[in-house]
Amino acid sequence: MIRSRMATFGVLALLLAACGGNGAATQQKKTELTLYNDKGAWTKFFDEMGALSKQRIGLGMKPTGYTDSAQYQAFIKASFRTDVKPDLFTWQTGGMLEEIVKQRQVAETTAVWQEAIKAGDLSPDLMPYYTIGGKQYCVPMNVAYWGMFYNKKIFDEHGLRPPATWEDLVKAAATLKKAGVTPFYHTSVLFSFVWFEQLMAGMDPDLYDRLATGKAKYTDPGVVQVMEKWKELIDAGYFMNPGDKTDPGDVMKTGKAAMVSFGTWFNTSMTQRDLKAGSDYGFFVIPNVNPALPKTSVIFESGPLCSLAKAADPEASAKYLKWWTTAEAQEKWATTRGDVSANPKVTIADEALGQITKDAGSGRYRLVNRYFEATPPPILTAALDGFGTFVTEPGTYKEVLETIQKEADEYWSTHQ
Amino acid sequence: MTRAPMLGRFRYGYVAPAALLVAVLLYAPFLWTAYLSLTRYDGLSEPEWTGLANFAHLLDDPALLTSTRNTLLWVAGTMLLPVGLGLLVAVLSYDLRGGGWYRVPFMLPYALSGAGLAMVWSPVLSHDGVANTLLGVDTAFLQEAPVNTLAMLLVWTWQQLGVNTLLFVVGLQSIPKEPIEAARLDGASGWRLFRHVIWPLMRPLTAVVVGLALVASLKTFDIVWVMTQGGPGRNSETLAVTMYKETFVASDYGYGSAVAVLLTVVTGLASYLYLRRQVR
Amino acid sequence: MIRRAVLVVLGLVWLGPTYLLIVNASRPAASYDPSRAWAPSGDFALFANFATALESADLGRSLASTALYSVVSPLLGVVIGALAGYTIVVLRLRHGFWWFLLIFGGTVFPSQMLLVPLFVGYSDAGLYDTRLGMILVYTAVNVPLAAFVLRNFYGGVAFSIFEAARMDGASTWRIFWRVYLPLSTSALAAVFILEFTFIWNDLIFGLTLTTTADVRPVMTALAGLMTDVYAGTPVPVGLAAGLVCSLPTVVLFLATQRLFARGLSLGSV
Repeated sequence: MIRSRMATFGVLALLLAACGGNGAATQQKKTELTLYNDKGAWTKFFDEMGALSKQRIGLGMKPTGYTDSAQYQAFIKASFRTDVKPDLFTWQTGGMLEEIVKQRQVAETTAVWQEAIKAGDLSPDLMPYYTIGGKQYCVPMNVAYWGMFYNKKIFDEHGLRPPATWEDLVKAAATLKKAGVTPFYHTSVLFSFVWFEQLMAGMDPDLYDRLATGKAKYTDPGVVQVMEKWKELIDAGYFMNPGDKTDPGDVMKTGKAAMVSFGTWFNTSMTQRDLKAGSDYGFFVIPNVNPALPKTSVIFESGPLCSLAKAADPEASAKYLKWWTTAEAQEKWATTRGDVSANPKVTIADEALGQITKDAGSGRYRLVNRYFEATPPPILTAALDGFGTFVTEPGTYKEVLETIQKEADEYWSTHQ
Repeated sequence: MTRAPMLGRFRYGYVAPAALLVAVLLYAPFLWTAYLSLTRYDGLSEPEWTGLANFAHLLDDPALLTSTRNTLLWVAGTMLLPVGLGLLVAVLSYDLRGGGWYRVPFMLPYALSGAGLAMVWSPVLSHDGVANTLLGVDTAFLQEAPVNTLAMLLVWTWQQLGVNTLLFVVGLQSIPKEPIEAARLDGASGWRLFRHVIWPLMRPLTAVVVGLALVASLKTFDIVWVMTQGGPGRNSETLAVTMYKETFVASDYGYGSAVAVLLTVVTGLASYLYLRRQVR
Repeated sequence: MIRRAVLVVLGLVWLGPTYLLIVNASRPAASYDPSRAWAPSGDFALFANFATALESADLGRSLASTALYSVVSPLLGVVIGALAGYTIVVLRLRHGFWWFLLIFGGTVFPSQMLLVPLFVGYSDAGLYDTRLGMILVYTAVNVPLAAFVLRNFYGGVAFSIFEAARMDGASTWRIFWRVYLPLSTSALAAVFILEFTFIWNDLIFGLTLTTTADVRPVMTALAGLMTDVYAGTPVPVGLAAGLVCSLPTVVLFLATQRLFARGLSLGSV
């Protein structure tokens, strides 16, 4: 009897403790902002930024991280209809940003951009990705340039150097293949689009842009050629098995494949594995397939940091975004993660990454928006599935393109 | 006996908490999904009423055929492996001295979360991985259908077997000792004892394990999502994965909700038909 | 003898991947090679990997709330579910099968689809980001399972027990609390283990319905370590994170082991 009473009492006590949550409505004039993001693994880095901002501008920040970006986006969209208002949140450029701007949910940041460009904190090259209807929204949370990470030891062993032309790259692949080394990483999940966008950008970047906006079709001859080129490389045996689920970081490290194409953020995977830039691995910009193009195409990705038009304290949110773009904030943000920064003033410790940031900022490359952001979600979903099928069965490329186009037709019929 | 009349009134009070919690927190939210299945909706602007259009689309969507096939494979496989093997382990170990310790290896994997599961199995299933080396073959286990679904089913068995064993053990424990002793005295043992005495007596808990496994396998999502995301292409998608992808990844809430309604109706119907027979 | 042999062989097969998990979680973070994953490493770096994982996860603050959810919700769920099961099968509730179907029906909905409406409802009701809200939703998810298991378990218990207790003048509540609950310890424990594990490892409800670190479940950051390519986590650290998360559940298994030994409970009922 006593025992059962104790048990009841215990549960009641726990229940009371449970009520001590944090449900109170928030007031104006905030001293600490919440930052919702889909980079759950970056919690530590965000926390450090929060500590720094508190010290510098008297405005703290707490991250709320998600791990599944699809679920995260659904949550943010749903929050627009509720009283739960994130002060700051990460998002995607392209159609995703346009969609929420059109719903008048996002606070304008034109003033922040103008000041930052004047101060040299942001490059005007980035502006188009953040401009909708002539106004700016959000600021860059992160930027990344895509290129090729290569295993330096393997390259040295076979007397190879980073290629300057597409021909050199293919020659290097042939040399490696002959020596029994698999040249390129390949995957059928999520990053199945990487070689498609890379070949598109290197063969016909204008067509790529038209494709993204529904002005060209996936069944156009130029796109078919890209798939044929890709198939040619697969048939030559230059790719590793795309069904292999080995972490790309380990693929690089162990030399399972000599080259892995990723964004500059992949550098974190290298440093986390104790690999040294310059001696263990290197990074190069992938040359254009078509040498006649005026500029080398570089795939570029940028994730925005946004605030709501109806934020609890719009002034504080704007202040935070402004601070975020400054060299002081960006220095910290880039170095803790070992990645590049959107602020050209930030010095990047890694030589190769520092170089591409500088070159990209000086207009040497043609920046091409990453496929993931450039393509509307329903088409993207069909395309990722399609490329996944293609890399496992390269013979299916025509059907794959037709399937994607079918989805694209449906989408553009209601979204032009 | 003066309290007898009270009995009747209190009974509803006793089921009310359970019924209320379930109705408010599980049934009610699903109504929203049911409504969305009749609309076109991107999660942002106002849902636009389209009647049964999404359900009509279900009929001519080739991807749905694949996911239905895979889902059925999951149901059949789950009954055979995690449930069947779970029963075997339970029956072999329940009355052994120290039988609990024999079950520990099967319980450990259950503690691991989905993401951890994918990480542990990646070196086993990869191209030059442990499985290929051990079997002396060269298969991409997660690539071609239906091999990829079968491979994931094995991983699932590894994780889920222990729970089923545990429930079966509870069932075996609850069996009264007398009938078994009586049967032993009559000379029954081994298979015959199990088939004619133990098996019928443990039926209530067998119904639980099978019923739960039926529902869970029809809703298979996590393991596929962490291991293949339904790919390559869409060849390892289950109904729940299709639902998730359409809703959240492609932002086609209407169609995704229609898949969800289909899945719910199928699951509900299957459990009703099963439970009606098993639970009287 | 054959029984033991079969169990040992099967058990060894099952331990294979567990072995891989432990060996690779103990490997120095930088020396992982998937094609040699089965070979043990000379250096033992398990604790270093634990430390790396914990450092990036900021566990301290949310550990308490996760522990609260994964203990209180299954307790409530088990009692509420058992009470429903008892009422339906022992008190012979009218239309009991349909009541049971209503409660069990809670399991047929795909939980991913409940998230957005739950979030909207919670924010309207002021339950968003509260511990009470979390406990409620986890309890609701747990109830059908508990009701099912206990309903069937009590169905197998001789009705004479109930009648005898009634003769002694015990109330229905007292019979439930003093007779039926203690009788079903092993079933309750099995359900508790299942539900504890589910809540402990849950990502979907916890992520969508909370924001503050004090209320948010603990798994987020650790799960992010394991799945997010942007994190670039070395496999040994990810595995160590997985191990850390599994520890409480494993401890719970071992602690409840005794309850599932034959003959301890109601053999003679």
